Amino acid sequence: MSIIKVEHVLKQFGSFTAVKDVSFEVTKGRIFGILGPNGAGKTTTIRMINYITIPDSGQVLINGMQADSNSQKKIGYLPEERGLYKKMKVGEQLLYLARLKGMSPIDAKKSLKYWLDRFEATDWVKKELGELSKGQQQKIQFISTIAHDPEICIFDEPFSGLDPINSELLKDVIIELNKNGKTILFATHRMEQVEQMCDDICLFSKGTVILNGALSDIKRSFGKNTVKIEFQGDASFLEELQNVRINNRSSNFAEIRLLDGADEQEILKKAISQVKVMHFEFVQPSLNEIFISTVNSHTNKEKLTTEVS
Amino acid sequence: MIEFDKLGIVIKREYLTRIKSKAYILTTLLAPLILIMFILLIALIPMLSPETTRVVAIIDTTNSVSHRMVDADPNQYRIFPNATVNDVRRMINDGVIQGYIVITEEVIEGTVNPELIYGGSGGLNFIQKVQRDLRNSIREEKLDRSNVSADVRQIMRENVNLVTRVLTDTGEEEQDTSALMVVGLILGFVIYGAMFAYGGIVMRGVIEEKSNRIIEVIVSSVRPFELLLGKVFGVGALAVTQFVFWIAAGSAITAASTPILLFFMKQPPDATAAMGEADLPFTIPTIGTELIVFFLIFFILGYLMYSAMFAAVGSALESETENQQLMLVVSLPIIIPIFFLGTVAADPDSSLSLVLSLIPFFAPIIMPVRMAIMNVPMWEVALAIGLMIAAFLGLMWLSARIYRVGILMYGKSASFSELSKWIRYN
Repeated sequence: MSIIKVEHVLKQFGSFTAVKDVSFEVTKGRIFGILGPNGAGKTTTIRMINYITIPDSGQVLINGMQADSNSQKKIGYLPEERGLYKKMKVGEQLLYLARLKGMSPIDAKKSLKYWLDRFEATDWVKKELGELSKGQQQKIQFISTIAHDPEICIFDEPFSGLDPINSELLKDVIIELNKNGKTILFATHRMEQVEQMCDDICLFSKGTVILNGALSDIKRSFGKNTVKIEFQGDASFLEELQNVRINNRSSNFAEIRLLDGADEQEILKKAISQVKVMHFEFVQPSLNEIFISTVNSHTNKEKLTTEVS
Repeated sequence: MIEFDKLGIVIKREYLTRIKSKAYILTTLLAPLILIMFILLIALIPMLSPETTRVVAIIDTTNSVSHRMVDADPNQYRIFPNATVNDVRRMINDGVIQGYIVITEEVIEGTVNPELIYGGSGGLNFIQKVQRDLRNSIREEKLDRSNVSADVRQIMRENVNLVTRVLTDTGEEEQDTSALMVVGLILGFVIYGAMFAYGGIVMRGVIEEKSNRIIEVIVSSVRPFELLLGKVFGVGALAVTQFVFWIAAGSAITAASTPILLFFMKQPPDATAAMGEADLPFTIPTIGTELIVFFLIFFILGYLMYSAMFAAVGSALESETENQQLMLVVSLPIIIPIFFLGTVAADPDSSLSLVLSLIPFFAPIIMPVRMAIMNVPMWEVALAIGLMIAAFLGLMWLSARIYRVGILMYGKSASFSELSKWIRYN
């Protein structure tokens, strides 16, 4: 069952079209990744799901109902640009935000106590937010997002600015939330996290959705067309390859995408003739590769159509 | 449409976080103290600066006026028999005396103006006193010479003091209008300052939420309109709290001030008799409850209008220092009535005053001034209030449309044409 259904949504600001005819569905209980370059319309779409802005046409359904101030209570939203009241005490602040999500003071306090303990943040309750470090503020912000036990959690770049330890803690919490039946919506351009965590993805470019579906299906549909090669020696042979695109290149490693009938065996032959090959693998493309090639081909197509018209 | 429970939570936060702030507590408490100091200063300054006696030599060739001058103020005027003009000039330069006047027959007859030659210090009060004493002395001399009867002299000495009282609808006479004018002007300035101050608090609150980026979290729980309304009402409640406290403190202080002032003023030697309020050099006007109530109503409505405008401007800014031009334009309607305050206070019944007091932007300042000075017909007051309510609703609607777009706009400082575009967004 779709917990979020975005249908043919259009949003314009003056003459600028932020999103155009965007449709996708998020299945309850899944981790859904919204990907796309900056300015692709991710935040605008997320704001419409959050009922912060309202689509000019089309609709957003939450649990089958039009998004409204009731659906807001079921969503926890961590915006990309973090922010809380700097001069307000942490405890008062969290209570205020939980109350605005419709919690009673008693429920709010109970839930806040649980999460503050979980994040080892109980000691900060009496402090003003501004007295905390960046990382500590991030934790408080995260607590404020999930304290009202939302069915849907929307995290926009949740790991940015976190050290590895806190990143790990946050990841555990997100997976735990998901296990407890919460639907997670991720917006990010960190592909490795998406590969690790997301069940479904939806790729935005220039205000439209250009790729949408289960991550495993998408990867399979791209087929095996990527060579990963590790070597020792002069990397200049890479230059001589034709009909390929090289990603993730370093002095002893390259990820090579085969284009238009390029043959992996030819690459292997060429490599062996010039360098010492340590590792050679023929694999599915990485999500990063899918992201870049899809966005690029979409952009090119768009350029072509605008040139033609 | 509006969820009142959320609105209530927002109002409560806006009110409580600010009322606990040190700055608020300090200004609330300090203002009455400043009022006390102010009253004391008015009373004490004349006493604290005792007039340094400046000695003026009278060189009277007729010997008829000089002794009258000495009688008028033996400390100030002195006759140096045998001293020449050059002698007294030297004495002025030596600092023994401060000035001299030469009186001749021509001066008494009025064909020549008397001249006061002095060291240059003393100021207007000193010169006026010399002039007054000289005028009286010469007049007395002339009366003597003409053998004027005692009755006529009495008439000449009489001073007519004009006392003014206002006849109210109920047939009572009320206090002096010049004091009322002062009250009116003070009320006007207080409302002016308060609208700016509290409108500014609303604006800074909006900017703070935007630059903190918390705004996106809040509007994922609350409609922007509810947040805006909550902010305006919360800060408004803060203002009312402060004013109610000040009014209570102020009336207590003014009630207590007459005895206090009289206590400090017992020093003058001739004040042996029991003094009453009438003996004060000024009257402390009593301000009616009705005026206070209307003062609050006009302030609140004015605040609501201007805070709606300030909030809209705030939503377009990312920092307070940005785009002063936008600020100036919304401040202008508050500043304009200040230029008319004097005119209105001088003639509160004129048609200019009436029109100004009905224009919603000016009414919060102009109408209370008029009401303090004269009895403004009830229909005018009611009309002004009605127009202000209408203006507030219109401004609030416009402001909310700008606000909901502005709070999520970053990276560009908005111009007026930008703001008017936002109004038309969906």
